[in-house]
Amino acid sequence: MVQSNTIRILDGNTFVVSEDTGDIEATPSEPTGLFSIDTRFLSRWVLTINGERLNALSYDDLQYYEARFFLVPGLATHYIDAKLSIIRERAVTASFRETITILNHDERAVDLEIRMDAGSDFADLFQVKDEIVNKKGEHYTEVEADRLRLGYRRGNFRRETTIASSETARFDQRGFAYTVHLEPNEEWSTDIDVQTAAIGPGGRDLRLGLQAHARERLALQHDLEEWIAAAPKVNSECEHLGRTYQRSLVDLAALRFSPLTMPGQTVPAAGLPWFMTLFGRDSLLTCLQVLPFAPEMSRTTLRVLASVQGTRFDDFREEDPGRILHEIRYGETAAFEEQPHSPYYGSVDATPLFVVLLDEYERWSGDGALVKELEQECRAALKWIDDYADLVGNGYIWYERRNTDTGLENQCWKDSWDSISYRDGQLPGFPRATCEVQGYAYDAKVRAARLAREFWDDPHYADRLEREAAELKERFNRDFWVADGEYYALALDADGRQADVLSSNIGHLLWSGIVEEPRAAKIAQHLVGPRLFSGWGVRTLAEGEVRYNPIGYHNGTIWPFDNSFIAWGLRRYGFAEEAAAIADGIIAAASYFDGRLPEAFGGYRRELTKFPVEYPTACSPQAWSTGTPMLLLRTMLGIEPHEGHLAVEPRLPVGMGRIEVLDIPGRWGRVDAFARGRMEMHRLAE
Amino acid sequence: MVDATTRFFEDLDRRGFEPLLEKTSGTLRFDLHEDAQTTHWLIQVDRGRIRVSREDRDADTVVWTSPAMFEQMAAGREDGIAALLRGDMTVTGDARLVVQIERLFPGPPDSRGPRRLFAREAG
Repeated sequence: MVQSNTIRILDGNTFVVSEDTGDIEATPSEPTGLFSIDTRFLSRWVLTINGERLNALSYDDLQYYEARFFLVPGLATHYIDAKLSIIRERAVTASFRETITILNHDERAVDLEIRMDAGSDFADLFQVKDEIVNKKGEHYTEVEADRLRLGYRRGNFRRETTIASSETARFDQRGFAYTVHLEPNEEWSTDIDVQTAAIGPGGRDLRLGLQAHARERLALQHDLEEWIAAAPKVNSECEHLGRTYQRSLVDLAALRFSPLTMPGQTVPAAGLPWFMTLFGRDSLLTCLQVLPFAPEMSRTTLRVLASVQGTRFDDFREEDPGRILHEIRYGETAAFEEQPHSPYYGSVDATPLFVVLLDEYERWSGDGALVKELEQECRAALKWIDDYADLVGNGYIWYERRNTDTGLENQCWKDSWDSISYRDGQLPGFPRATCEVQGYAYDAKVRAARLAREFWDDPHYADRLEREAAELKERFNRDFWVADGEYYALALDADGRQADVLSSNIGHLLWSGIVEEPRAAKIAQHLVGPRLFSGWGVRTLAEGEVRYNPIGYHNGTIWPFDNSFIAWGLRRYGFAEEAAAIADGIIAAASYFDGRLPEAFGGYRRELTKFPVEYPTACSPQAWSTGTPMLLLRTMLGIEPHEGHLAVEPRLPVGMGRIEVLDIPGRWGRVDAFARGRMEMHRLAE
Repeated sequence: MVDATTRFFEDLDRRGFEPLLEKTSGTLRFDLHEDAQTTHWLIQVDRGRIRVSREDRDADTVVWTSPAMFEQMAAGREDGIAALLRGDMTVTGDARLVVQIERLFPGPPDSRGPRRLFAREAG
């Protein structure tokens, strides 16, 4: 579990998680360390002076890639009257760099023995996450005059950490040390450089030639400034909304990462610390959220996902022709096929969402060239929906894992083992068809029909897709409608029986447009009704269901990203007040997390806890939580591309005050949107 | 009997055009080496058009592996990306090219793909 006092800095999928002193003392279950390409390269990094540990006075995480720690010797058990100050400054760029500065405030000279313990277990991120410890390869340490090498070898698989210092150090098997004499008011400092390497036979780095884009610290700073300058400005009377937007913008910049397979192209990684890698679903949904603010990300994500779209059947990786990947990993367990992530394709929503994003991106950007470029991949994705996802043969997307050993049981966004249930709490058998995925498939077909007509010059294909979409909508409204509850079932089992619980998934159905108009009001009522809406947001599973638990990962917690799509869906069907209520709750919750929304928080009633209770092991920052405030801004302002220009139809919650979003990029160039909150919230239905 | 490696390259050359490589151009050379002996296979891709030869020429991407590992990959019994991560295959140059060409290798021979429920009941 991630401790709340850990400090994290990162660049792409290289990151450092440490204690607030800057020290790293990892245990198999403690995810501190220096990580890169899904491998821990430092698990021990402990600074002592004259044998004493240091105590943190304060720290600054200056930017997402750098941090500074102010320390004094000794433990904080009583009053500290320190004659020494120690400053550790660190940055993650292509490598991990740390500068240690020591200042002597005493009127006398001091002699210091400064020591850094260094070690690495080379754990695969999966082993850290799942607390697996037995390594099959061998560790080695090489002490040289000017550097220390820590290594791990298993066959041709080799990962190595090399530590060097600007000041002369004495290296030994377990770290390095300096002997320093400091006169009064004198200071001393050293730069430590930690390189990570993935070495193949013949000493070649696996990333050789791919590292050309690794950025230096100054370049990172410049890049971040450019990123912020390019994004729309948000001015808001509601102070924490402005702060939340700024925080999201910077976190989104931090989460950009360049996959080994596509150097130079950045896509959003899913989240720190477990998921600093490419996920199909997370990346696509994040791109959809941030389209009005960072449209470039959609283009690169679509290209990267297209370039590794499935081409063959592989039951271990659950690959099929046309399928969009779920997750890619570079660690030892993926390399030795102990995990299937090279890449793994076990998700049923990424493929339709790929088509949805391409259309939505074109509507904003006017980038018809990309729609033409990805025609083949889009057609393959739609063919996958029809040919390979329909495991029962009745026109729905189903899932049942073929990798029964390490594959995912639930291949939808609610992917924990117990997330899909009947009202009596029993879990259905496989295959399963969850409702939101049918919505995505419907939306993909409707949108692809537009693309076929306008860009691919194939009106017959467009007609066919529209016909299929209409049939799917009709079928879906017949088979998934829970008559006695007046909502859509969470899923169907292979016999057509409904997993008839009330869940947040029905909100996604509004977003996709698969809900028949006369039923939409009922769905909206459920979403802001007392069983689903806590006051902060919509719960994943309704209060009163057998499996409901306010801190159940997918059975009662509130996921900010889920809520942002629900708000979008409500607006699509004209329920602006309900959308504003959700936006209001989630943005209020963000203020309790310093503007950084967690992956999930508890489903407790707002009146009961007064503040949102963070889900214990939630990832943070996480891409689709980071994207949430941006999609909520979109829904509150009602900004929508319309016949080549940007339509604005704001409906803000009361007390939100005035919001300006300036320089929204798109096919119209750049335009501004303004809104003022004046709605009365008490008119909301119970 | 021809080995899977030769069959893989001959098939590729015979195909002439591969839609999956429509957006790809460049040259990739496989160097399969064992002891002192190295076999070269050069793939030239020009927006989907493919030519395969056994020339030892400069290429945008050079991939090293053993003939045995390649034979397994050509038969679908080993996965190229996993082999890369493991260090059983190494690359210099443009990594994108190897990722695109890797997609042309067959899946595992025992992989059956998704099976419809009624088909399973019938079987």
